[in-house]
Amino acid sequence: MDSVSMGMGGMGRRVGAVVAQQEYLLQGSILDDSCEQLLHKLRGFCDNCDSSPETFQDHEMVFTIRAPNGSNTSLRVRKSMDVLQNPYHLRYLGQQELGDKNRATIVRNCIDCSTSSDCVSFLQEMGFKLDYEFVLKGYMFRKGRMKVIVAKLFRVQPNASPEALEPLSQSYLVELSVNAPTGQEGIADEMKLFADSLKPLVILDKVDTRRLQM
Amino acid sequence: MSSLSVNVSVEPLDEYQVQEITYDGQEKYIQPLSMSENLTKMVQKIDFAKIDTEASDGTNGVEAMDETPEVESKELATFQPSLWPFDSIRNKLKQALTEVTVLYDVLSICKDKRYLVLDPVSQEPIENKPITALVAKKKALATVATIISNGCDRMRSAQTEANRNRSTDFHSELFQMRQNWRLRKKENSILGDLSYRSAGSRFPHSGTFEVTKNEEQCTSGTGSRASALKVKVPSDLEGGSFFQVKTQKDNEVIGDGEVSVPIPPVLQSNVDLNWHQKLENAQNVLFNKELFAQLAREAVQLQLPIPTTVIGNQIIASLFPGVQLSIVLCHTTIHGKIKHQKNSSLAIPSKQDSPNKPVLEHSLHQLLRELHHNTLHHPMPHPTTATLGVSRKRYLAGPEAYDRQTIAELNKSDTILEQIIAQTQHDLLRLRTMFMIDTLASEIKDPIIVAHWLCLNSATKSSVKINIVSYGYESLCRTPLVIHISTKSLKAILRDGRVINMSYESQELRYLLLNQVSQHQVFAIQALSKPMGWKVLSLNINVGVGHVEPIGTASSIVLVSPNGDRIIAIRCGPHSGIEVKMCSSPQEFYASALVRDRKWQNLTGSYREVDWERIEGKNFINKIEYLMASLTNY
Repeated sequence: MDSVSMGMGGMGRRVGAVVAQQEYLLQGSILDDSCEQLLHKLRGFCDNCDSSPETFQDHEMVFTIRAPNGSNTSLRVRKSMDVLQNPYHLRYLGQQELGDKNRATIVRNCIDCSTSSDCVSFLQEMGFKLDYEFVLKGYMFRKGRMKVIVAKLFRVQPNASPEALEPLSQSYLVELSVNAPTGQEGIADEMKLFADSLKPLVILDKVDTRRLQM
Repeated sequence: MSSLSVNVSVEPLDEYQVQEITYDGQEKYIQPLSMSENLTKMVQKIDFAKIDTEASDGTNGVEAMDETPEVESKELATFQPSLWPFDSIRNKLKQALTEVTVLYDVLSICKDKRYLVLDPVSQEPIENKPITALVAKKKALATVATIISNGCDRMRSAQTEANRNRSTDFHSELFQMRQNWRLRKKENSILGDLSYRSAGSRFPHSGTFEVTKNEEQCTSGTGSRASALKVKVPSDLEGGSFFQVKTQKDNEVIGDGEVSVPIPPVLQSNVDLNWHQKLENAQNVLFNKELFAQLAREAVQLQLPIPTTVIGNQIIASLFPGVQLSIVLCHTTIHGKIKHQKNSSLAIPSKQDSPNKPVLEHSLHQLLRELHHNTLHHPMPHPTTATLGVSRKRYLAGPEAYDRQTIAELNKSDTILEQIIAQTQHDLLRLRTMFMIDTLASEIKDPIIVAHWLCLNSATKSSVKINIVSYGYESLCRTPLVIHISTKSLKAILRDGRVINMSYESQELRYLLLNQVSQHQVFAIQALSKPMGWKVLSLNINVGVGHVEPIGTASSIVLVSPNGDRIIAIRCGPHSGIEVKMCSSPQEFYASALVRDRKWQNLTGSYREVDWERIEGKNFINKIEYLMASLTNY
């Protein structure tokens, strides 16, 4: 009972009945040949080193709707391809927060919830259009509240079977992220410390998302 | 020349001068000057202005020196065209000669004392004793020799030490300790952590131990080597502890919680243990403390129909009416005393208690370890963007629209005490069932009861497959049944698919098995009738006629011979036993006033009981086969 009541109240700023959080993100990439070393290192640094790293395969679809005043809003739907009975995950990611240049990580608003599999048809009925989709396949680690993902990006072939995936590059994407309620200090420094320990194998840095979209 | 002159011999070097040595050891030589370079070099040395002045100047008082400027001029005149290889050497020699003559001139002038006077600078005369130099050299060599011999001795002794007894060095032992235990340095002392906190425990005990150097060099008589480390564990973790888990019948005084327990031999030794053993024992004590605290907390919180009691270091929980589970934590100190142990005031002979069950003790340990594991190992989110650290069922709470009560139920899990009670209950029930089946199998000889226990089972579920066969007719008829044993009930599945749920009372199983045995006989007869050629007229599992069986129902079968003139009727009951009757036709016919026709003799007569036990045959089926064979006539 206690955990339920704790989950309902006291976690972050409430927007209506939804808990809004902030996502702190650092990204980097590593070539395929060196990925093995990175996995060994991460296995030693992160929690639960006695079990082998957890693999995952996720399929993400990004839907966009065009508002009448011209601005676009996009929502991300992510489903797990290896655990099929888990629900879909719907996420809204806001714009990168500008301001503090010294902050080590990207900070953006994140509102998410779990949904059933009707999510995709629901969004399409609402007027969202599929912008792009991709498949991520790789390993994930956690250390306390930090989550590290080392995954390869694949292109989804529209006509081929879901098993035929075409990798986008010869490298792995490395992401270090924390989802935390607004107003918590010190997360960015904690992440920076962790990212520094992975240098020079992989350099995790903040990426200016506005420049990517141009 | 004069006798004062010194012979100078000039030899060319047979190797070139080294300019540089590269990193891979190759030497680069200075290339000898080529002819033109040589010439240029020497031309530069010529001072044409000086040649004339020297030729005309005759200040040198030495005769030999007079020659040199002339020689020089002569040489210089003939120098340029000739390219002589020893030129540089000759020039250098000439230079040396010049300098020496100048020096000579200066000295002769000084001797004259007219223009220059040499005045000695007063200084201590350095006494050059070759003896002292020799002695000094000897001393230096002696010190060098001693240093080298010291080093050699030390290395040799270190090697022999290492070969004889390994790791008596403090640092190497500390290194070994660091491989297994967490150590940290705090000011001057080295502290270590032997708690299970890094494995997920939340027990408030700190569990720190201290490591110090072992100063004493004790040589104990038993031959154990002195270790270089000494560890000091917290006082409440000293000694060793273990659990005693046993089931006991109800008729014991449990009011004062006194129990006598035998000390396992591992903890009985009084010899000072090495640090490794000490640390392990202390960690074990801490683990057992945490386990007992957890069990005691749950015992107080749990709402069972018969409440559990916690007295001192003993927890008593009720399993079945009249049977209890007792969990005792025994802690022994180093000197062999047992804490919390007083002489038993129980006069009950111990044969009523079942002995300590080490399997359950192991189960207790496993359960606590599982608890630790679950605090650390949270399942990872799939998809990766979902919330971290939430259980799998919680993910579905949103999309499935769980209400508060459902979510609260998700969080509920069995406590350690409940789980151990369930395991003990199952253990007892399994033993009872085994005992009952074995007793019946040895009592009943006619159909054979064969029990196969499945080897794959869990702590709370087991199964047994029972086959009832008749000896000699195994392939003919077999009555199977499966019994599933869970914690408090038995479930039997019979050959026709019926499911019978029984409680923990083993009498119910006995009645069921007896019933099955009697039914088997009837089914076996039915199976036998086919090869014998007899026809089954009726088969009844639950007969409603005849005397009532106290438990269960009787079954019956009626068979007719191939040519129809003999009928056998068999009735089998679990308590009433087996009755065999037969009738034959044609019966004896006596014409009477009512019945006149001869044809009425073909009706079957009355049934007569057969004393089947006196028929030849190994078992009942065999006897009935004999009976059927003897009654058959074509």
